Amino acid sequence: MTTPAAFSSYRERVAAALADGSRFAGLHATSGGALIRTLLADPDGATRLETIAPEDGRVPSIVDLAPAAGWDEREAHDLQGVRFAGHEPLRPLADHDPALERWVRVRGGDVYQLAVGPIHAGIIESGHFRFHLVGDRILHLDAKLFYKHRGLERAAEGKTLDEGLPYVSRACAACNVANGVAYANACEESLGLLPTAELRRARTILLELERTWSHLNDIAAICAGVSLAAGNNSFAALTERARRLNAVLTGHRFLFHTIRVGGSELMLDADHVRAAREEVASIAAAARRGWRELLFNSSFQDRLPEIGVVTAAHADQMGAVGPGARAAGLAQDLRANSPLLSYEGFSAAVPERAAGDVQARLEQRALELWQTFALLDRLLDDPIRPASAEPGGRERPIGVGRVESPRGATSCVVERRGDRIERLRLRTGSYANWPIVAFAATDNLLPDFPLINKSFELCYACVDR
Amino acid sequence: MLTLLRDLRRLRRTIGLPPPGSGRSLAIRHVDAGSCNGCEHELTQLASPYYDLQRFGLGIVASPRHADVLLVAGAVTSRMREPLLIAYEAMPEPRRVVALGDCALGCNLLGSAEDLIGPVEAILPVDLRIPGCPPTPDAIAEALLGLIDRGSAETPTTARSSSTSGAS
Repeated sequence: MTTPAAFSSYRERVAAALADGSRFAGLHATSGGALIRTLLADPDGATRLETIAPEDGRVPSIVDLAPAAGWDEREAHDLQGVRFAGHEPLRPLADHDPALERWVRVRGGDVYQLAVGPIHAGIIESGHFRFHLVGDRILHLDAKLFYKHRGLERAAEGKTLDEGLPYVSRACAACNVANGVAYANACEESLGLLPTAELRRARTILLELERTWSHLNDIAAICAGVSLAAGNNSFAALTERARRLNAVLTGHRFLFHTIRVGGSELMLDADHVRAAREEVASIAAAARRGWRELLFNSSFQDRLPEIGVVTAAHADQMGAVGPGARAAGLAQDLRANSPLLSYEGFSAAVPERAAGDVQARLEQRALELWQTFALLDRLLDDPIRPASAEPGGRERPIGVGRVESPRGATSCVVERRGDRIERLRLRTGSYANWPIVAFAATDNLLPDFPLINKSFELCYACVDR
Repeated sequence: MLTLLRDLRRLRRTIGLPPPGSGRSLAIRHVDAGSCNGCEHELTQLASPYYDLQRFGLGIVASPRHADVLLVAGAVTSRMREPLLIAYEAMPEPRRVVALGDCALGCNLLGSAEDLIGPVEAILPVDLRIPGCPPTPDAIAEALLGLIDRGSAETPTTARSSSTSGAS
């Protein structure tokens, strides 16, 4: 039986951790809503879970301590029926019952609403945006996602750890390596396994190959956001080259089926590795040429500053992660502290002009691409052999894996019973950042929203799951 | 003048455009009914310089009211069922439904039964199936170009009166 004392001590523990510099990294309900677990990540990379049992289906909200917990609490309410005292109003997130639909009330003269989606005009994933406007000025944006909710986490329950992998990797094609590695790390932590140097290297190469096409695609998308066909075409072509390289190396353009729990079967001989390194160098040279052309295109550059601004203080407070957070000046990148991967000597890149606007987020992609090209050049120095994780820690019922995906910190929690999944939670960089996109749109012009949205280029699939 | 026309025809041949006068085109409306975003990323790539699908008369249009083809990716989720049906109802006749990717075809679906309706054919008549996880841009292009030929063979080439007047 949970007592009010346990409630206040849970809030105190979370508050103390946040005061010590930890960041909120996820919250989920488990055991059919009988327990709530809050994941906190220390600056040195260590993680811990604070667990609390609801009483009469209620736990105290921590959304006042960590606004980033807002979506997590709404999700736990909608999918597991837990209520969060102090989180008022607890609006639906995953529950699409029309009777529950509540948009934020925006009042005043000439305010109107504009409904966009779930089906969009271009080739875009499904999701609904409700803009509250005066003229072209956005006063507030409500993002209603979860149209693509497939119930992946629930479907994974009861599966073996190996069988569980597709539920996280196929949650999202664009993040499948990052999701897969986060899941594998979580399973291995729970099983008391540590990846060998060879396994760490193989996974790091795959993660950086994923980041390569993804960041090239993001730059192309931002160009498309302002209808700059030349920039869009040159970076879309480079995206295609990166995907073709993936297919040559792994047999799949999106690197599907390359991650495995407890090991890696990736095998590349010296010739393949050398050819890959040359192709990466060639893509890098072309990307630098393309980037220079963008820099000197003043009509393009003039469109980008002071659009969709997220200050460092707001990014920190709201739990922004990934390129969006770094472009605001937060030098946070899980790769700088990843003993389970091969990122020795890596430090987070932050642009000189870390203004947190579209221009800074665009520049951030380029800075990170140069880092990724250098990493791949260093890592593709030797044939890649099958590798496995080795016993190196104690077994525990819950494992946590955290990986820097192209869109930011992705956390995976695996609770197991024997070799079966009892509960799986995947909180991706996109999940953390969607509330930031809605925030960034505020006070901007409606025609700039596609550009703001593209400057984050988040996935819907791994949010909705 | 004649020389100019001849040169233009030669240029058309050398850069690989379809022969003049074939009058082929397909207006496509894409709907993501619950995909992993892989099909969308490959579909986007069709517009890149490597594929440049517009030169074959294939274009993505903003509204189902302007579309000949509804291109559906993903297993249909319970939350996307109604938007998908509304998009289909908005299309002028004749219309085609293309299921894009293994999920849309019902192969190897992942998810909870209560959140998934199933493959596209569970709620719409499917005219063309494009397998793959995700299908490569090559495979998508080849299948859609095949649909143009099939479409013109099956339906008379009369003008579609509803296609332009139906636009909102």
